[in-house]
Amino acid sequence: MSELSSHARETTLRVARAMYPHDALPDEAYEKVVRQIEVEARGNEAIGATIEQGIAELDDPTPFKDLAGDEQLAALLRVEGGDYFNLVRATAVVELYDNPLVWKALGYEGPSVHLGGYVTRGFDDLDWLPDPPIELDPTVGSHHR
Amino acid sequence: MPRYRYDDEDVVAIVGSGAGGGTLAHELTKAGHKVVLLEAGHHHTPDEFVNDEWRSFKQLAWLDRRTTSGSFRVAKDFPNLPAWICKTVGGTTVHWAGCCPRFMEHEFKTSTYYDGMDGVNALDWPISLADIEPYYERAEAKIGLTGTNGIPQLPANNNYKVFANGAQGVGYKRFHTGRYAVNPVPRDGRPATIQDGFAFQGSKNRSRWSTLYTEIPKAQATGKLDLRPGSHVIRVETDGQGLATGVTYIDADGLEQFQRARIVAVAGNAIETPRLLLNSAGNLFPDGLANSSGQLGRNYMRHLTASVYAIFDKPVHMYRGEPMAGHIEDEAPNDPSRGFVGGYYLQLLSLGVPFMAAFMDPGGWGREFTSAMEGYTNMAGLWLVGEDMPQQTNRVTLNHDELDQFGQPVPNVHFDDHPNDLAMREHAWQAGQALYESVGAVRTIRTPPYPATHNIGTARMSERAQDGVVNAFGQAHDVPNLFVSDASQFTTGAAANPTLTIVALAIRQAEYITDQLRAGSIPSGHAVWDGRDPGGAAPDATELPGQTVGAS
Repeated sequence: MSELSSHARETTLRVARAMYPHDALPDEAYEKVVRQIEVEARGNEAIGATIEQGIAELDDPTPFKDLAGDEQLAALLRVEGGDYFNLVRATAVVELYDNPLVWKALGYEGPSVHLGGYVTRGFDDLDWLPDPPIELDPTVGSHHR
Repeated sequence: MPRYRYDDEDVVAIVGSGAGGGTLAHELTKAGHKVVLLEAGHHHTPDEFVNDEWRSFKQLAWLDRRTTSGSFRVAKDFPNLPAWICKTVGGTTVHWAGCCPRFMEHEFKTSTYYDGMDGVNALDWPISLADIEPYYERAEAKIGLTGTNGIPQLPANNNYKVFANGAQGVGYKRFHTGRYAVNPVPRDGRPATIQDGFAFQGSKNRSRWSTLYTEIPKAQATGKLDLRPGSHVIRVETDGQGLATGVTYIDADGLEQFQRARIVAVAGNAIETPRLLLNSAGNLFPDGLANSSGQLGRNYMRHLTASVYAIFDKPVHMYRGEPMAGHIEDEAPNDPSRGFVGGYYLQLLSLGVPFMAAFMDPGGWGREFTSAMEGYTNMAGLWLVGEDMPQQTNRVTLNHDELDQFGQPVPNVHFDDHPNDLAMREHAWQAGQALYESVGAVRTIRTPPYPATHNIGTARMSERAQDGVVNAFGQAHDVPNLFVSDASQFTTGAAANPTLTIVALAIRQAEYITDQLRAGSIPSGHAVWDGRDPGGAAPDATELPGQTVGAS
């Protein structure tokens, strides 16, 4: 198998999106998942067959990509644990969240060392709780001698 | 840096350059011994480290093939990754966080305190807390632990503020920002932390102690260390008397080499160490080298491990700052009234988004999963680390059905949780959830054990040869010029993160080796040289370690 069909690409994108739904994320974030699956399928007959069979199952009787949100969820629950499901899930949970676009959407600032870390950029800016002690209370002592 | 000859009869060959091997190399070279330090991984330097969880994982983690079996959940979630350790010069000290509690007195006496538990292969250590205390002091000074040696505590970061307020909320009394191996102020030629939030990816500014840029360069400065990265040891060789003669390894060019050695010390972490000794079976050692007790590879421990993440209605930004700079002792004592023996610590923990997705709920999907990820900014986290029970059936064996890139059988790690482990984990999860609920958590998440960062017990210390693999100094009962220098030698695991104890034992072992060589108490193996070009400079007969040490 050289390339995924456009139907397989489109369906896999919808499946990844239904598995890991973040309404604020553009499809672009999920396209990274499809690209990685495409890389793995390239020259690997077994993975190609898994994708083909998995999509055929999901498309029966109605194409998965035409289902409404709750119907997509029901379809995924029906195939949970199958090879195609596992392939998309395992790939998506890595590829989707390994992406600066998604980090930004979730409020994760990512690499920091080139900016001097967080020592002057808010490592201790939480202000809705009192500042707690940082040293062991000398009146209670440690369990260590 | 010297390059010792392959036929040099005086070198100490150390396998592995992490907390045990790297420290031992420094201590032995400082005492005048010639050391060949063999490290399977590459020599990465801090400027190569990346603030990126998956890229760093591919750069530093030990990813050679491994298999798993048993009922522990890791066998299902991460079947080929039972442990998350490093393959690089500096070993797992490159990616550790830096938590360094000492063991408590009762934790050296599990047979005495945890007696009568079904399925527990308990044994008292052949040493006590008093024996190791002077070495704890030296290890703490070497590492530069916060809260010791006049070094201040780390400041409170955001995640700690939630953690410590929660500790107060549930009535805990003993908490602080940790005995932590990161400079709060410049020390030992290394700068203070910049709170970059990346520990498990290597410390780019070297503020966290690692043998990579402390012990190993200090050993090199003695002129006695021959560091060989990319050198994967596949066998410890022995002679007809059952003494070690050296090690066979695959070098960085893929060539098989034999390095003759006066003493061999193995510090490959508690999966590779027993794997290497099991793979070194021979006529005199049919069940693996130094395994007359049958305990080699057994009693594998990985600590309790579990985590709790909590989501609040206000921002936390837990990823900013030192990821594990927080420590609660209140649950650490042995209090069997809780329904289990042993104890556990609650320690601060944060992960970035990529690893949070991978580890929060392995296999999880759907809105329940993604809504938790959408709470990331408002999330706080902690780790639960406690003593797990030594069981004979939890073990590292050779899997002859799968071979690695050098044609050697891969290690299989078999693990079943003991009922005591399960009871402790349940208690610990509840304690972590209660802590966060006391400061207003709107949702708490129980996270199961990760691939182990603490790997313990597979070549354990024992008073008697029939009960374990090594003696109180890590010297093999069966092979007096063979040593184990990592957490494999721990008789039991205690609740404490293992590195401080590994370092303390390595300092103590170096002292013992020096004394024993000087006294002529460690016999030499007799290698028959095969006639190959031994390479390197000619061995200098005036540098026999026993002589130089005595003269200096």
